[in-house]
Amino acid sequence: MSKTPSDSERPEAEKTGRRAFVFFGALAAATMLPSAARAQGRTRARSRRPEPVLRPPTLDHGAIVPNENVPAFAEWNADTDGLSRLVRRVTMGITPGEAARAKAMGWNGYLTYQLNYTRINDAAVENALAARYPLTSLSSDQLFDADAGQIATQLRESAIYRAAFSQRQLYQRMVEFWTDHFNQDLDKVGYLLVADQRDVIRKYAMTSFPQLLKASAHSASMMVYLDQNVSSSRAPNQNYAREIMELHTLGVDGGYTQDDVAELSRVLTGWTVTGKGQFTFNASVHDQKAKTVLGIAIQGLTGADGQSEGEQVLDMLVKHPSTARFIATKMLKWMVTPTPSADQVTAIASVYRATGGDIKAMLRAMLNIDWIMAAPMKLKRPFHLAVSSLRAVNANVSSVSTINNSLNTLGHQSFAWDTPDGYPDKIEYWAGNILPRWSFASSLSSLNSTTTIQVDPGMYRGSSPAATIDIIDQGFFAGEMPAATRTALTTYAGTTTLSDAKIRELVGLALASNSFQWY
Amino acid sequence: MSNETHTADCGCQEYNELSRRQFLGAAAAGTAASMFPAWLPKIVLGKTYASNRDVIVSVFLRGGADGLAMVAPYADPAYYTSRPTIAIPRPDATDANKGIDLDGFFAFAAGMSGLVPAFKAQDLLVVHATGLQTNNTRSHFDAQRYMEVGKPADPNLITGWLGRHLASVPPMKAGSLLRGIGVSNGLQKTLVGAPQTLPIADPANFSIGGSVNTQPQRLSFMQSEYGVGEEPLRSAALDAVNTVNLIKSVSFTGYTPANGVTYPTSSFGRALRSLAVLIKADVGLEAAQVDIGGWDTHSAQGANTGSMRNLMNDFSGSLGAFYADVIATGYTVTVVAISEFGRNVRENASGGNDHGRGTVMYAMGKGISGGRVLTKNWITGMLDRANLEAGQDLKVTTDYRDVLSEIVQNRLGNPNLDVVFPTWTPTMMGVTR
Repeated sequence: MSKTPSDSERPEAEKTGRRAFVFFGALAAATMLPSAARAQGRTRARSRRPEPVLRPPTLDHGAIVPNENVPAFAEWNADTDGLSRLVRRVTMGITPGEAARAKAMGWNGYLTYQLNYTRINDAAVENALAARYPLTSLSSDQLFDADAGQIATQLRESAIYRAAFSQRQLYQRMVEFWTDHFNQDLDKVGYLLVADQRDVIRKYAMTSFPQLLKASAHSASMMVYLDQNVSSSRAPNQNYAREIMELHTLGVDGGYTQDDVAELSRVLTGWTVTGKGQFTFNASVHDQKAKTVLGIAIQGLTGADGQSEGEQVLDMLVKHPSTARFIATKMLKWMVTPTPSADQVTAIASVYRATGGDIKAMLRAMLNIDWIMAAPMKLKRPFHLAVSSLRAVNANVSSVSTINNSLNTLGHQSFAWDTPDGYPDKIEYWAGNILPRWSFASSLSSLNSTTTIQVDPGMYRGSSPAATIDIIDQGFFAGEMPAATRTALTTYAGTTTLSDAKIRELVGLALASNSFQWY
Repeated sequence: MSNETHTADCGCQEYNELSRRQFLGAAAAGTAASMFPAWLPKIVLGKTYASNRDVIVSVFLRGGADGLAMVAPYADPAYYTSRPTIAIPRPDATDANKGIDLDGFFAFAAGMSGLVPAFKAQDLLVVHATGLQTNNTRSHFDAQRYMEVGKPADPNLITGWLGRHLASVPPMKAGSLLRGIGVSNGLQKTLVGAPQTLPIADPANFSIGGSVNTQPQRLSFMQSEYGVGEEPLRSAALDAVNTVNLIKSVSFTGYTPANGVTYPTSSFGRALRSLAVLIKADVGLEAAQVDIGGWDTHSAQGANTGSMRNLMNDFSGSLGAFYADVIATGYTVTVVAISEFGRNVRENASGGNDHGRGTVMYAMGKGISGGRVLTKNWITGMLDRANLEAGQDLKVTTDYRDVLSEIVQNRLGNPNLDVVFPTWTPTMMGVTR
């Protein structure tokens, strides 16, 4: 049930795009909006959005209070099967193709399909990536002398491309999640990040948390990012020891003390980097004396055995109940709701403990219809917005360089957050930077370049302005465009025949609309 | 955080009292309970607000800035024994990068030279051994959050101190469309809750793009489409539309700073330059939050060269330019600069420092009683191991809220200190003139 739909099972229109494909065009066609599905247009009752219960609290001179519980648009909850809400949560942007797939498979079938991601054939995307961004396939040893600027560009553009066009969409959502969880700044770690992304984050994103954490702890890139490589028994550096507990496992309230930080920093002395970006244990700088971490005595060991002290603590950390709760809470916030209940956290933490931190098992448990239907909407972060826009417009994509540049203005360029907490997933952080979202949408919709992105206004042209808006509705909102957006687009469109320029503007406004900012 | 959920009727007395009042702004009805918890006192509307208030520029040095490298207690011999490789040379040393004496005990590092004119003009106050007195977290993220919201370890308080300041005073200029600005791609916690406030990373390029001819209609689209949406996106969108129109009238590229000043081209320097333009354009801006990052110098921070020196050059050069361009020319602006904590007194083996406690903060303006290094309980042997917190760190002897409270009250004209810094009873130290 979880196999990739064979070609014969796909709608006719998905098989052959009607455009001449440039570099990425063919790949895009496999995942993107089939033009036939657009024209069909699911008709559905459009209920007026109810008066929001949550009003902006106002005080004296107009304080604006961040509201994390934004109820979903009525249109999104109209279908009681909840599948479109599930698709919005587990993908980087709903498309008619993905919505149809979920309909065909049902809740459990679709979820299983996305969870068992290795069974989804993604060879076309991976092959294109390997050809386009060859540096991302190289080892650290090979990258040592490569151009740093090219490494950065290829790493960033491949992340955008993969997120947009991979069929393994839930997996890509988790890659983004763990990239922030184990955040590193490309400016500091440079070429080392290629291997970290490939051999830690992408390799273990859907395995188990202990495997992922241990891979990260043996990553040269992480050692450099958090100064572990310069720590020694003479004066241990506490940076990594602190963050592995505060940010990677236990959480800041997870029950460790400043003494634990100091002790763990001694345990980890010797974990470092050698040669051209290889992790190693250097026994000569390891503190061989006894330590106590989280109340557990760690026997001081000499020689190569010294590394096992750190391995012992990693095992303690991944088994610690605080880690189960911390990871459960953070995953719930990412996938389900910004405000998980105590019961939800307890339920997912117990799955963590029962399965040894199995990421798929936790995802399966939290992605249930009751929780998803009841969840508030989440604001797309700019990366998510940009990628979902790219998925929505169904353009010919030769290069995502313009997207990468825009993400800089949007404040969300990949691997550019310099502190180890990763980009925030908080609405109060992102909500204010709204104008760059609008100018991004405007600029994407006007692109007509055979070397970067080519948006074809003809694809959206209907027999009337209303029919054009219907096509946009199908392509961008899977037929669930909220009423306020339809009204505003209708007003803007007017009643006369639309020029190409005006169609582009409608596309840009739809991408810039309030409705498109949420998932 | 489910306890932040807003309900239609919170039933609490504070809300009921507030709801009887006349609200300003378009969105009239609301519940204030979650942002201003019940224990917060009611805002005092009867008080008079100074009509001539300072604009505040609040700077956060993110990463835990090493106060002992910026303002070195060179007269304490323990400073040099603790820092064999990264100490700032004494002002009487022959080193080309020797410290700049401030008061016979403390010295600026050479990298801080950009702030010497402000210090000499007695417009720059340095406060040493500051930070969070009531919470000793060494987590960047906790410490920054606690300082930005203005109260440690209260998960229910999510608005920032500067946000609550703006929300508890009337606009300095009636009808102001842009009262606050976070020079950032995302709104800093310091400003959360502020009305008419946006994060704008680059005010000089604030436009919706696309065809100039249709820009007004497309902005109208945003106004109506977001206008029926939810907070905080709704206000952000409406503020953005207003701000686009406002900023169109301001010329950033044609701006010539006063006194022949050239701002550094760093992002911090460019941010301060943009703020200078907006302040001089008199658009009604009252508060700005600017960040300068990179202070987490666990390794290789250097003394006279290296990452710390570069950071100090940028910090002091940019603020020094802003001083000469804006403050020295008579604009009533107060600048404050804080960091979440300092770093260990003793250097580590990597030629850097790990997370510590006490650090320096700065206040600058014509209303600041400057030209001195203000300390409290700085005893002889302050850097001796026996006198350090946990045997390793400079103690926090002045809470940052003491310094800010005095500025909020005397320079920003806001008597609601219990709203800006809840549960904190400030000790005034003569920060302002």
